[in-house]
Amino acid sequence: MIELDVHAAVAGSADVDPAAVLGRKGLFGKDRATLLALCAVHEALDLPPKTPRSPAEPDPGVAVVVSSNLGNVGVVSEIARGLRADGVRSVSPMLAPGASSNVIAGAIAIWFRFGGPNLTVCSGAGAGFDAIWLAGALLQRGRARRAVVVGVEPDDEDALALHSLRHAGPAEKLTGGAACLILSASTGTSAATATVTLRDYGPPPASPAVNAAVNAAVNAAADAHPDTPADSARYGAAGVFAVCAAVADVRAGGPPRHLSCGDAADGFRTLRVGGS
Amino acid sequence: MSVRVAATAVRTCFGDGPSTFAALSRGACGAAPLRLYDPAETRVTHGYEIEGGPRLFRASRWLTTCVDEALAEAGVDRSQQRVVVLAGTGLRELSAVEALATGGAGAEGFPAERLHFGPALTLAGACSAGGHALALAQDLLELGEADAVVAAGADAMTASMLAMIGRVAAEPTTRVRPFDRDRTGVLLGEGAAAVVLLPDDHTTGGPGPRVLATGLSCDAGHETAPDRAGILRAMRDAFARAGRAPGEVDLVVAHGTGTELNDPVEALALTELMAGHAPLVTAIKGAVGHTSGGSALLSLVMATYCMESGVVPHIVGLRDPLPEAAALNLVRDRPVAARPRLVQIDGFGFGGVNAVTLLEAT
Repeated sequence: MIELDVHAAVAGSADVDPAAVLGRKGLFGKDRATLLALCAVHEALDLPPKTPRSPAEPDPGVAVVVSSNLGNVGVVSEIARGLRADGVRSVSPMLAPGASSNVIAGAIAIWFRFGGPNLTVCSGAGAGFDAIWLAGALLQRGRARRAVVVGVEPDDEDALALHSLRHAGPAEKLTGGAACLILSASTGTSAATATVTLRDYGPPPASPAVNAAVNAAVNAAADAHPDTPADSARYGAAGVFAVCAAVADVRAGGPPRHLSCGDAADGFRTLRVGGS
Repeated sequence: MSVRVAATAVRTCFGDGPSTFAALSRGACGAAPLRLYDPAETRVTHGYEIEGGPRLFRASRWLTTCVDEALAEAGVDRSQQRVVVLAGTGLRELSAVEALATGGAGAEGFPAERLHFGPALTLAGACSAGGHALALAQDLLELGEADAVVAAGADAMTASMLAMIGRVAAEPTTRVRPFDRDRTGVLLGEGAAAVVLLPDDHTTGGPGPRVLATGLSCDAGHETAPDRAGILRAMRDAFARAGRAPGEVDLVVAHGTGTELNDPVEALALTELMAGHAPLVTAIKGAVGHTSGGSALLSLVMATYCMESGVVPHIVGLRDPLPEAAALNLVRDRPVAARPRLVQIDGFGFGGVNAVTLLEAT
């Protein structure tokens, strides 16, 4: 069982103006998903708008775990179209980091000087809970004292087009946006106002047959604890958004919340916010 | 708690694990003119491709093959045990996204779920993704979150990544020359690797080597350039977690990408870390190319073959070492007879993500 304290939970807006939050400097060439993610972290750290970036040495005690499936799909598509139309000389080296799928987590580390373990989870519909689970593993094994977990999807045309091809996705179109959780290993004290508990987290399903069994188990569990499903239209960001909303409810005095995240293709995961 | 390597499986341009180790030992270079990507489009002429199969969803196929092979060899039953598969990758199946964006084969679309490697838990970590999968595999076993974890990694190629290599190269290169003074840059290699890890306790005690620890760090400095301080943090983290000292290392399997930036930075970091101790240093990318998400795991698997065979292959493509490597005991020209007990494996990636693993023979 992995139990985590929640120090901040921010569900960012998809139409945020990055320059108004982060200041103009350093934004050039960054893709939309990265900008949304930086804004969500900025808010979660409770920094005033346009706070100058820290010149300090990287802090190895802060880990970054990003969940995103479509973050760099737009950049990769843009590079591919540019190559086809005008050849390699037309492609800006500024786009190079975006060719790699971990660009967002790297950019967060650089912007905020987080030198701890840096992960990007792209596991589909359950990516948000997978990210929280792996952040919990890093924290409980002493690899960092805090983990910044960011769920983010962009809403550019390439991302929307690919999302519409989800085999097990929702009827709705992709909802862009970024949410951020700041977590630590649970201390069992009352300092934090909410906890996330991952009990019997279980691996993703191994096959469609196992998938059905997992679904049945989730449904059976729902009888005892009505699960609130994460909003699947947020795809890789869904789990982090769901936890942010549940943390707000629990902090407002609501009962513990049992959440599920995933879909029939990628399997379901569950976790609990609040309670013990 | 260390964890035990119960079984391994790999695919490279040379084939499976034994074929790849044999090729390394005879100094073979797997680079060839690219068959699947047009050099006129990306300005990259060569690579280390795996022969055969269609252009899309290559990494998924090799990954599945390697994971199935390794689990079967380890005797792990997925229906009876809690088995987590962590799949590290740099490029996922983004070549299918490129096809969707540009027309041609694959433009009709594909289920978005095939961008990742479900049911494996897909981790994007550029060229050290496999090393990060190893670190998390050990963490999950130590926390009791799984009975067995497969640390896996796979990558094919994408036009966008090839273009970034072609864009910055002065001249197209034809092979990778790790730690060479006249190195001409990196080339991509296709490949996959899977390593089954089990808790190292009395119930699973066996003959496999032990992963003692993997140290992790992020440079938090630059998106694409390596950073000596960040790399050293990952190295020192590995030794601190393992309770070992750099002076105990017998062999380093370096990241060694043959790029202008990586090799001097890595050589200087190793020199500083070892502080006068001079273990053997080898690297495999001259033979198999840069296999990105699979590369750290592939290095680890080759290290297990070194332990078993008593042979450490030389660095293919290295003729004249760069000055920054003067203090390193680089394995050159021919394999050496040695049976390393403690091996350090380096993996560094875009985004400044570093993973350094310590593997010990039993």
